[in-house]
Formats: sequence, structure tokens, C-alpha cells
Amino acid sequence: MTTCGRWLAGPALAALAGLAVAVAGSGLARADADDCATPPEMTDTDIKLPHFADRLAAHKPATIVAIGGASTMGKAAGSSDLSYPHRLGQDLSQDYPKDKIAVVNKGVPMQSAKDMFERFPTDVFAQEPVLVVWEVGIVDAVRGTDVDEFTGTLQDGIDALKNKAIDTILVDMQFSPNSATVINFDAYLQALHRVGDLADAYVFPRFEMMRYWSEQNVFNFDDVAEADRAKLAARVYDCLGRKMAGIIHRAVP
Amino acid sequence: MRAAIPLPPPSRDLRLDFFRGLALICIFIDHIPENYLNYVTISAIGFSDAAEVFIFISGFTASLVYGRALAMRGTLIATVQVLRRAWQLYVAHIFLFVIFIAEVSYTVKAFNNPMYNEEMGVGDFLEHPHLAVVQAMLLQFQPTFLDILPLYIVMLLIFPLVLICLRWRLLAALIPSALLYLAVQVFNIAMPAYPPGTVWTFNPLAWQFLFILGATLGHAEAHARGRARLVEIAYWPALAIAVVAFAIRLSWTFHGFWESVPDLFAHQLWPTNKRNLSPVRLISFFALVMLTARWISPQARFMRAMWARPLVLCGRHSLEIFCLSILLSALGHFLMSEINTGLIMQLGVNVVGVAVMCLTAGMLDWYRQVQHVPVSTAGE
Repeated sequence: MTTCGRWLAGPALAALAGLAVAVAGSGLARADADDCATPPEMTDTDIKLPHFADRLAAHKPATIVAIGGASTMGKAAGSSDLSYPHRLGQDLSQDYPKDKIAVVNKGVPMQSAKDMFERFPTDVFAQEPVLVVWEVGIVDAVRGTDVDEFTGTLQDGIDALKNKAIDTILVDMQFSPNSATVINFDAYLQALHRVGDLADAYVFPRFEMMRYWSEQNVFNFDDVAEADRAKLAARVYDCLGRKMAGIIHRAVP
Repeated sequence: MRAAIPLPPPSRDLRLDFFRGLALICIFIDHIPENYLNYVTISAIGFSDAAEVFIFISGFTASLVYGRALAMRGTLIATVQVLRRAWQLYVAHIFLFVIFIAEVSYTVKAFNNPMYNEEMGVGDFLEHPHLAVVQAMLLQFQPTFLDILPLYIVMLLIFPLVLICLRWRLLAALIPSALLYLAVQVFNIAMPAYPPGTVWTFNPLAWQFLFILGATLGHAEAHARGRARLVEIAYWPALAIAVVAFAIRLSWTFHGFWESVPDLFAHQLWPTNKRNLSPVRLISFFALVMLTARWISPQARFMRAMWARPLVLCGRHSLEIFCLSILLSALGHFLMSEINTGLIMQLGVNVVGVAVMCLTAGMLDWYRQVQHVPVSTAGE
């Protein structure tokens, strides 16, 4: 590449990226319905969301807070409109057209379970939600937080939500084909699922889903050209949002 | 006592080798994530797992082997021997760290993906490699798989002192150790690690108690003091504890498969704090030790059978096999995450890993015989 070419490449790439986001925003980044398919047992659950269901039954506005990290924020897709909470909100509004359901996105990158728990008063309780989707665990696994401490924080968090009559859905880690060798997710995954089990809170199996998509070659997380990365993220978030809407639908038929 | 004969002389307590070998294989299996075989390792029958077995027996045999060296050749020689062992472990630790660096470097490309780089970057390592390397050499940086050897190294570093105390009075070693353990439980003292904010996965201030407890019992055994009476007194309580622990643990396993099975006492007992070796784990483990001491004789027939031989050999050369098992589980982990986690892959990784461990142990034992090293001093 000539110097001139290199000089031009920056703005050109930026323009392309901007275009990609715009295109993505217009709906093309939506995943196909088939892409999102997972084996039925993966989403087989008798999830209960009593407070959320009561709220809908009374036809009162319901607020859902999605608290989590960068993948909740939707940063990788380029816009929070392409995040999974946004998609979840869209789907729920379609499913329950008579009800006013708002999804508030409170994703902040690089936060441990404890950091998020400390945000509860300002970011969660202040919104007066009836359901909280708590995406948690990646940063703890990366930093190697003590597993018992991680477990304790999750339990405290769920208890705090319960005390305020808020339902909880936990969301486990993102699957990344390569990172498993250097980050030990297993212990944190097990802890997260066990906490959910003990507290009767549903754990949305994001890790398993993404691994399934990766193994079935639905999405290739490994070798993504730079220009396609945001699109890939948007499509995955899209699937995750839809899946979660489907699961919430089971709790509130 | 030249050991040109294939079988160890009857004086060697085969239980030590057999169960440590078993623990090593369980450690290997437990370290491979999402492994179905995890359901049948030691952790499935009580609250403790293979780590307890390994540390306890290591303390027990270290006390037998180095206690003899101390009695026969003096404090200085025994100390040098222990420190030499610690050095070998340290080298193994650095070797594992090199493998970790290789894995990180290999995976870096994945973290360029914006879906991951925000949170999954191996941040501290890549941002401050100079610090991470130094901290790893100081045993303070303990990423995945690098958290076990530091405990063992520290145990050996304090061991000369433990030996000297044991020789004077058994309680001179045991009481300070127990007090430290209790202090950790009461005040929740942790060992800070690198990066700041993390702690040692195996808190040496707590786990030292199990090691020294093993060493004390080993010392008592070598001098034929008190063991028989301890087993006599502890038998019935131990049996009761072990049965209850087994039932509770089993209910948790079944609950994982069928939600209708209640997970008994899970709210009270889980998580059992492994970092600090919670009393629940310690008591559950000690009950198993007492039952083993009562039910299985040191030369029991099944441990001399052909099928048990690989386990006994693994246990006898535990240092080498331990390091190898960590290495193998890291590799197995790597293969499974690079290719897939299917059943065949799992089976392959398990079978090949265990086979490599056993074959290596066989080779080491062959070499020991060629070198005419008596089996009684092998594999502390």
C-alpha cells in the first residue's frame, strides 16, 4: 500500500464502518430465524417470573432492567439499538402489544459481579423494575475472582432483588472458542448455574447456545474479517434477544 | 534394602501410593472442564476432593521420608533434600507458566474480536507483561492451572521447620498449625495475589493444616504411636459423618439431573469454601481417612493386583506425575476448546491423558530400579 493509500484507508474504513452500522440498523444485521435455532432441551425450562406475570396480568407498565457488561451494552455491534436487551424489548412489545414493557439497558464494560451489585441502588432499584436480567461472570472469570466470593455476591444480589419483589434472570458468559484455554470459565459457570438453581432464578444459557452455534458453524467466531465483526455481533445479540423473549413468554403465557 | 525386586518391600504402606495415584488421576480428570467423568471422582462421595487426598498424603509421606533422613543424616542434610524438592517444583511451575504464555499468545488473535476484547482480554497479562512475569516467578500471579504448585512449594519451604518441631513434640507442630487454621476460618484471612484484588486459590495459611496434620500422623506412624487408638476412637463418628456427607453429596448430584430430587442442605452447606479448606471439607475428608485406615490394610491384596499397579506407580512418583497431569489437563483443555467437547473427544482426552500418566510413572519406576534407589525413599 502506498503512503497515499494508507492515508486514505483510515477515513475510507471509518466510512465503511459507519455504513455497516447504518445498514445493520436498518435491519439487515438481523439474524435469520434458522440461525438462532438451538436444540429444544437447551431452552427447556419451567421458568417462573411471578412478579412480572402479575404486573402484565394487571396490565400495568413493566420495566425490565438489563444490567451487565459490554455484551449487554451492545458495544461490539456498534450501537445499543443492536444489543440483545433492545431486541428483547422489541420482541416483548410484539408479544404483549397491550402492555407497556420497557427494557432499560445498564451495561457497563469491565465490571465484576461485585461492581455490578454495587450499582444496584442507582442503576436497578431507581428504575423500579419488576424483572432484572443480570448478565454476569465474564470479568470475574478473567480476573480470577475467588469463586466463593463470586457466588456470595450473586446470592446477595438475588436476595436483594427478591426483597424488593423483583424477578431475576441470570445470563451466563459469552462463549469464545479460543479463550477457554486461558480463562477458566468452568468453575464460574458451575457456580452461576448452581446459584440460580438454589435461588429458583432462571439462568439463560448463553454460553451453551453460543457454543452450539459455533460448533454447528452457524456463526464463525474465529476468523471474522474486520468489516464483518460488528455484523456478527449484531446477529448474535439478535438471536440472544429473541431467545430470551421466547423464554420469558413461557413464564407469562 | 536394595530394591532390585519388582514389588516394594512389605514395609511400604501401599495405601499411600495407591490413593495418591488415584488422587492424581482424579485431579487430572477434574481439571478438564465439563467432563462427565467428574461425576465419579473423589469429589462425588463427600465434600472434599482429590486436592485434600493429595496434600494430606504428601504431608504424610514427606514426614516419613524426610523424618528418616533427619534421624539418620542430620538436620542439615534433610533440609537440603527438602529444599531441593521445592526447587524442582519451582522449575515445574515456571515450565507451566511458559506453556501458559504460549497459550495466551496463541489466543491473542481471538481477542481482537470486539465481541470479546472488551472483557475477555487477558488484560493484565498483555498490558503489563513485565509485571506478570515477575509476579509469576514470585508465585503471586496464578492464572488457570498455575494455582496448585505454589501451595505445594510453600509447604515444602516450611517443612524443615515442621520436621524439627515434630521431632521435639508432635503437638509443637500441630498446635500452632491448628491455631493458624482456626484464625483463617474465624477472621477470613486470605493471601493476596497478583493482580491486586485477587487471592491465592489455595490459601496456604489454611491448607498448611492438612499438610501438617498428614505429617504429624506420618511421624506418629513411623514411631508407632497412637494411630491404632485414634482409628479406634474415631471409627464410629467417622462412619456416621461419611455416610451423611455421602448422602448429601449424592442428593446434589442427582438434583443436577432430576430437579425433583431435593438437594439436601444445599442452602447451608454450599459452596464449601475450598480456598480456605472449610471445616466441612476437612471433617468430611478426615472421616474418609479414618475409614480407609480401618478398612484397608497397608498391604491389602487389591492394591497389589495388576490393575492397581499403574495407580501405585503414579502415586509413588507423585511429584513428576502431578506436574505432568497439570500439563496434560492444560493440553486436553486446549484440544477440547479448539476442536470440540463431544463425548468422543472427552473420552479420548481422558483415556490418552491417564495412559500417558501411567506409562510415564512406569518408566520412572523402571529408571528408579535401574539406578538402585530403594523404593522407601522414592516419591515423597
